[in-house]
Amino acid sequence: MSTVTTQRLRARRRNWYRIVGDGVLYVVLSLIALGFIAPFVILASSALKPLSQDLFGFPPDLIPRPPSMDSFREAFRAVPLLKYMGNSIIYAVTIVPLSALVCLLAGYAFGALRFRGRNIFFIMVLGTMFLPAEVMLIPRYLVASDLGITNGYLGVILPSLLSAFGCLIMRQAFAGVPTELREAARIDGANEWQIFSRVMVPAVRPSLAIVMIFGFVNVWNSFLWPLVVLNDESKYPIALGIAYLAGIGSSDERSLAAGSVASIIPIVIVFLILQRQIMDGMKGAVKG
Amino acid sequence: MSVATSTRRGPAGPDVSTAQPRKRAKLREFHWFVPYLFLVPVMMLFVVFFAWPAVLALQLAFYDYSIVNPTVFVWWDNFVHMVNDPRLRRAALNSLVYLIGLLPLTVVVPLLLAVLLNQKLRAIGIFRFMYYLPVVTSMVAVAVAWRYVFHDLGILNWALTSIGIVDQPIQFLLDQRTSIWAIILVEGWKSMGSYMLIYLAGLQAISADLYESAKIDGAGPIQRLRHITVPLMVPFILVTLTLEMQDATQIFTSVYVLTAGGPADSTLSLGYYIWSLAFEQFQMGYASAISLVLWIVLILMAVGNYAVSRSKRFATS
Repeated sequence: MSTVTTQRLRARRRNWYRIVGDGVLYVVLSLIALGFIAPFVILASSALKPLSQDLFGFPPDLIPRPPSMDSFREAFRAVPLLKYMGNSIIYAVTIVPLSALVCLLAGYAFGALRFRGRNIFFIMVLGTMFLPAEVMLIPRYLVASDLGITNGYLGVILPSLLSAFGCLIMRQAFAGVPTELREAARIDGANEWQIFSRVMVPAVRPSLAIVMIFGFVNVWNSFLWPLVVLNDESKYPIALGIAYLAGIGSSDERSLAAGSVASIIPIVIVFLILQRQIMDGMKGAVKG
Repeated sequence: MSVATSTRRGPAGPDVSTAQPRKRAKLREFHWFVPYLFLVPVMMLFVVFFAWPAVLALQLAFYDYSIVNPTVFVWWDNFVHMVNDPRLRRAALNSLVYLIGLLPLTVVVPLLLAVLLNQKLRAIGIFRFMYYLPVVTSMVAVAVAWRYVFHDLGILNWALTSIGIVDQPIQFLLDQRTSIWAIILVEGWKSMGSYMLIYLAGLQAISADLYESAKIDGAGPIQRLRHITVPLMVPFILVTLTLEMQDATQIFTSVYVLTAGGPADSTLSLGYYIWSLAFEQFQMGYASAISLVLWIVLILMAVGNYAVSRSKRFATS
């Protein structure tokens, strides 16, 4: 009788430890989260504050009284942000699928086929990942100007099509597909293209989704190459447009904040919807 | 029928097909050139946007090349000029500061974050989401957001003055003593989430039994971290180290938006210097020479890192 009660007491105490421990953990996690969220909150609050309210001050006052869209209106008036977002969408709908196709084809060859020189080709493609952007900046700009594609949509699109990261992920994905699948299709009389498009590609759809999601994030946030290759502001992607807004004298801190918030919203929505795929995909890429 | 058998000319070695040779032999094999067809797009892009530029870069480094002036072959002048360029020396030193300053923020802190997030708790996904959010937003927007944090009357100065660490608000981005640390903070803050995710992948591969048996043996949480987590994380630490080197040498956008290399070159990174030489001052030949040297340095660093990881692996296995 007494041993039962002490056992129960002990169990209850262990439960208490657990609850307190979890509570402490939640507090720590929340404090860290605050550090990651605070700059965004400050940005959003600066964007929403009415003109009559100070942006800065001790102690900080983050609540807009009342929230106002004036700064957003001013940002969209100062620079054609909608045009920039449209440009980013043009870049995204061309670069993301085309680059995914390149990665699919290459990943299939590297991951599922056997041929002479496979490793050399693969190392060449992978090597591009370890080349810092600034090293290739000048010569690639000269190549683009030789090709006559600077200052146009093509100049941004074409050099962005090769994604070593995407090729790597697709290679891992295709290598993971059982060879029996291909052999069965071949016995059924499928040719190599049919095997690829009807059997193998459907089998790697999750990895393809990851490549396309990351492709979209990269395109939406691309900055350095468009900055170099474009002279004409009308073709700027959104991130470059925001930097342009930050650089021109006519913009004030409020409209800059509003423009930045507007530029973040689409990517945050994508991230909210696809966060599981994004994070699991990233982890999978590391393991592979 | 020579075509049908030619695929078997492929790399000889431990072939899986020996297990079932008869079944294999019956299959209609594809033409030998089919794999290469799949590689045509990727190799075309490689040649046009990597190989060709690489050759150009090599050539350009020996020329005095600018868009406005005629091109002159200058032998080693660009490289000699590098030795006597105080701004280059400053940029290289700064890049070293970036490389070392970012280490704790990208290699150490994310490991602790990953350990915290690897607990079985309700709603842990929300925290993961928030820690990762800066990774998916653009560096431009992130840098703009931090402008408000670093403002004279911004939240950071308010916090520091009210705790009493400083008496007067600091102009973080305009003060030569703080500007580079401000950039490091922004860069580290933005990329922490992706490093954390790398560690999280590694942590989830560690068997829970290890921790259980350590607990039974009386090891506390810190001992478990020190003797189980960290040793098993060594391969992942090497991965983050390699990525950190890449990130640190590529710092550009944050500098462009926040300081433009200033004040007095205190935040000038190699990437920003190369860009500014080539596209603001049109000294493309000289900038190419710097790129080339940087490239060689980075290759050497990558090889060194690889060698270390190889030797470590031999030591543990």
